[in-house]
Order: sequence, then structure tokens, then C-alpha cells
Amino acid sequence: MKVELFYTPGCEKCADSKDKLREIATELVPGVVWRELNVLDEFDYAVEVGVLTLPSIAIDGELLFSSLPTVRQLRRELIKRIGKEV
Amino acid sequence: MTLTIGKVASLSKVTADTLRYYEREGLISPAAKSSGGYRLYDNDAIRRVRFIKQAQHCGFTLTEIRDLLTLRASTEACCRDVRRIALEKKLQLAAKVKAMKGMSQALDRLIAACSGGSRPLDDCPILAALEKGQRR
Repeated sequence: MKVELFYTPGCEKCADSKDKLREIATELVPGVVWRELNVLDEFDYAVEVGVLTLPSIAIDGELLFSSLPTVRQLRRELIKRIGKEV
Repeated sequence: MTLTIGKVASLSKVTADTLRYYEREGLISPAAKSSGGYRLYDNDAIRRVRFIKQAQHCGFTLTEIRDLLTLRASTEACCRDVRRIALEKKLQLAAKVKAMKGMSQALDRLIAACSGGSRPLDDCPILAALEKGQRR
């Protein structure tokens, strides 16, 4: 599973939360690929995924959160997806 | 300096109706009213109208511009907040461009399917393709 966080540099909201979100993703999903993408560097890809607001999170290329989720929301989504993969 | 609505309009190259509309949308407000009830503005109004026009030129809607003006006056916001908004607007514009390219390609396919000519409309492949699409 691939989790991608699109952010803009200097975003304090991201800095505060992303470590906790990454932690929960790596804890729940063995072998998860966690990517943090600076939209300025990956603009075309962000448009392809459908990112319109920042920060946003996509899982396996699907835009799922148009703002940072809480740890609980991300956990719920990851568990749902793990269930589908099994 | 006190300015009438007509003066602000001519200096900002917009109409008085536009200024009244901006006021209804919460983008500008007169600094005072004359004894006769006429709107009176200060120089800040001209700066705000210039700001609004420039922001519109960059694709911002009036609602977004109102938020930008609020942000501009905020003591808690900083440059990076405005930069994020500009970046989000650029993402939204790029998404629209992508959608429009898709529409253009769909039209290309329809145009290619029809050779034109004087066939009756019942045989028009473009209309047929649109009808077929509707049933889907």
C-alpha cells in the first residue's frame, strides 16, 4: 500500500501531524510506502491525483483526504483497506 | 481624502454598480456616509479595488478574494498562508485545464466521426453518439 501526503513547504499543520500519521501507517500496514510530496516539485502528479487543497492524502493513487485526517480517521481508512486487500 | 463613489469608480476603472456589488459581497465598504446618505470612501478603497481586480485576474472568485482580504488584515497569518492559497488556486486551475482538455478530446472524436455533408439529422453521427452517451 502506498500513502502519499501532498504538502506545501512551511506548512506547520503538516509538520505537527505527519509524524503521527506516518507512525500509524507504518504500524498498521506492513511494508507501507509512505511518501511526502512537495506539491511544487510534483505539481503534475498532484493534478493527476486530483489534489485541490493542501495538505491532502492519497492512498494507492486515490485522493482520500483533502485536509489532514486525524490519526483516528487515517487508522479507520487503513483498516478498511487492509480488509479489502486480504 | 474623501472620495465619492463616482470618483472611486473612475480612478479604479470600474463602474459604480460594481462598487455597490463589491459592497454587497463584503469586499469593500464606505468609510462614511454624507449627510445626504451618499457613500464616501478613502484611499484604501482604491487599493482594495485594485487588489480585487488583480486577484480576479489570477482566477480567484469574489468569495476567495474576501478571504484573502481578511487574511491580509489578520495579525496571525503570514506569507506562507497566502502562498498556500495561491498554490491551491493553481491546482484548481490546472484541474480545470485538464477537464477542458478532456472535453476538447471528446469533441475531436465526435468531429472525426462525422464527415459533415448534407445527410439528414437522423444519420448525424455526432447526435447519435451524444444520444448513445445519454443512455449510458
